[in-house]
Amino acid sequence: MATSSAAANTRRPLWMSLGAAALLVLLVALAFKVFDSTVSLREPPPVESLAFERTIFKEGSIDLRLRNDGPDGVQIAQVLVNDAYWNFEVGDPGLGRLETTTMTIGYPWEEGLPVNIAIITSTGVTIEHEVEAATLTPELDRSTFVTYALLGIYIGVIPVGFGLFAFPLLRRVSRAWLGFFLALTLGLLAFLLVDTIAEGLELAGETAAALDGVALFAMGALLAVAGLLWLEGWLDRRKDKVRSSAVSSGGLVLAYLIAAGIGLHNMGEGLAVGAALAAGEVALGTFLVLGFALHNTTEGLAIVSPLGGEERPALKHFAFLGLLAGVPTIFGAWLGGFAFSPAAAAFAFGIAAGAIAQVIWTIARSMRGESAMTRGLPTIGFLTGLVVMYGTSLLVA
Amino acid sequence: MGSVDRRNFLKRVGAAGAVGGAAVIGAREIVAGASTTSSNPLLAQGHDHHALMAHRGLGAVGTVDHGGNGFHPLEILEDFDGGEISKDSSGRTVREYEFVAVDKEIEVAPGVFFPAWTYNGRVPGPTIRATEGDRLRIKFTNTTEHPHTIHFHGIHPARMDGVPGAGEVDTGETFTYDFIAEPFGTHLYHCHSTPLVQHIHRGLYGGFIIDPKKGRPDAREMVVVMNAFDTNFDGENEIYAANTVAFAYVNDPIPVNAGELQRMHVINVTEFDPLNSIHIHANFFNLYRTGTSLEPSEFTDIISMIQAERHMLEFTYEHTGRFMFHAHQTEFVDLGWMSMFEVS
Repeated sequence: MATSSAAANTRRPLWMSLGAAALLVLLVALAFKVFDSTVSLREPPPVESLAFERTIFKEGSIDLRLRNDGPDGVQIAQVLVNDAYWNFEVGDPGLGRLETTTMTIGYPWEEGLPVNIAIITSTGVTIEHEVEAATLTPELDRSTFVTYALLGIYIGVIPVGFGLFAFPLLRRVSRAWLGFFLALTLGLLAFLLVDTIAEGLELAGETAAALDGVALFAMGALLAVAGLLWLEGWLDRRKDKVRSSAVSSGGLVLAYLIAAGIGLHNMGEGLAVGAALAAGEVALGTFLVLGFALHNTTEGLAIVSPLGGEERPALKHFAFLGLLAGVPTIFGAWLGGFAFSPAAAAFAFGIAAGAIAQVIWTIARSMRGESAMTRGLPTIGFLTGLVVMYGTSLLVA
Repeated sequence: MGSVDRRNFLKRVGAAGAVGGAAVIGAREIVAGASTTSSNPLLAQGHDHHALMAHRGLGAVGTVDHGGNGFHPLEILEDFDGGEISKDSSGRTVREYEFVAVDKEIEVAPGVFFPAWTYNGRVPGPTIRATEGDRLRIKFTNTTEHPHTIHFHGIHPARMDGVPGAGEVDTGETFTYDFIAEPFGTHLYHCHSTPLVQHIHRGLYGGFIIDPKKGRPDAREMVVVMNAFDTNFDGENEIYAANTVAFAYVNDPIPVNAGELQRMHVINVTEFDPLNSIHIHANFFNLYRTGTSLEPSEFTDIISMIQAERHMLEFTYEHTGRFMFHAHQTEFVDLGWMSMFEVS
């Protein structure tokens, strides 16, 4: 003990002096940058850029939320709507880096027709925003709030809950077939993971450049992994303490993790659908509903698959599992419908992707013996999961 | 940038399929609340657009700092420059001018600044006014980093043509254009250095009016240069105007006395678009094509012109009130070429 701390003492001056040297180099470099004009390159022309973060169509007017996502300041001078100068009101026309402002344009837009908005800056640069089909943006009132909640229930809660009813079937199958269903769950989740990453990166591309959507996505993913690792540990510790009532088995812990991962994924999807509906850019037909129902019921199956070989948990757990996986969809739909921004959405999709990846890892780790992925039946199960997801996705393509 | 293609986005979300269940019920309610489905979107039930009357309507927001520009469209309208007048040995009137090419940022719409190339710091340049047969001596100095010329539409010797090789003036140099003003009419001058589009579009042009020796009837005279600005340099104009500033004569209507003969010299220098036009409201004008005749050739309320085409319009307002005049390519109207007379 004493010798080791003495050794640490002798080592400390070395790394401290290295650190001090590095700091000194950094300060000198900064000083050169600040005080020596020869270090800086010739001043380039300003790069003006605005991100249209939100476009809200109201009766006879269009509201915009703009963010300066370029490196230089932007001074808003005029607005063209469909190639006509139009009167507008703006909070602060001068936008520094990353600053936002709101604008109201009293333009008599028409339902279903395209709208092109061009902001002209003080230097004459035009920054354009094209809306394919204008439609009234739902306002945040009681009825739309309820409607979006219902939407979340239809999308998330009902299909997942329906899938939970696969539990009695799982109880009757052999251990080998349980491995099949666990692997099937892995296949379903793998499909969702790829899809979530694709969606998230697409949203990242739409994010204001200076906010770096890819970094937001990655941060969300890592946050989810860290969070779920902690949750898994917490559930494990709780299992040891309160053996009798609460989360009493490894299978149930896994089921909760899967439900959490799918819940985060569903929040992302609720966000996407809410945003699309708010923009009036979706028409869902009967055929699509059937496709969605069939497709999403598999999520419920995924949640209960780890419970197949164990005693039936208390019924309340099924309710909790269903709500954990389904209810976030409602929050997602609200956020997407009333406060959509690509940056927040990229972050949310990152969380979903990280959560799903973490859950996949946890399930794979838990599969041993007859249900190991090296066996034939689980392999077939995994492939079946992928094919089922792909096949049902064709129904809604 | 920042544009969210949500239609495509949703398609892919749908393909992913995690969008669930009986979503259609909620969705239908939303869609029904937002729009009326119709095969023709124009027939879709409209909103009460009159509900919102505040801050709406065509036009630019704010006002141009004419003091900062150093010229006001109302002044340019009636600012005819006869030059420094003297007589030569033969008794001929000699008019001497000093023109200087200057780069200058000008405000072409409220808050929108354009890096113009100018004669004497204004766009359009000074309106030269002479009588046919006068001798004109225009001393031209170039302070900019590009070569420039002054090419006059008129009759003159080749060496006075103001083109590359004949009267082109390099940076810091001077040349004097010297010729006899002929024929009488409404003319123009402009830079003829290359690339031609840049040198004209950036602002190097102006009116050149030659009066007939026997004169014309008394009238209130105006010059209107129809010009346009491609502020983002993409080969299309963002701003159209009469005398440079978008909507200038909407904010400051041109005062007109009822019953008084108005003589308007209209010159088209619009770049990028093959045509421009002028239409006056609630009235007709006598058209003197290129101003080279003493008799009108047409009685109309609209005339279209290609670039460098120019005409003289004469009209009298008997009714008082506010009357529009503007291009009758309505897209130009929406982009700034809208003006007003205030007849009293």
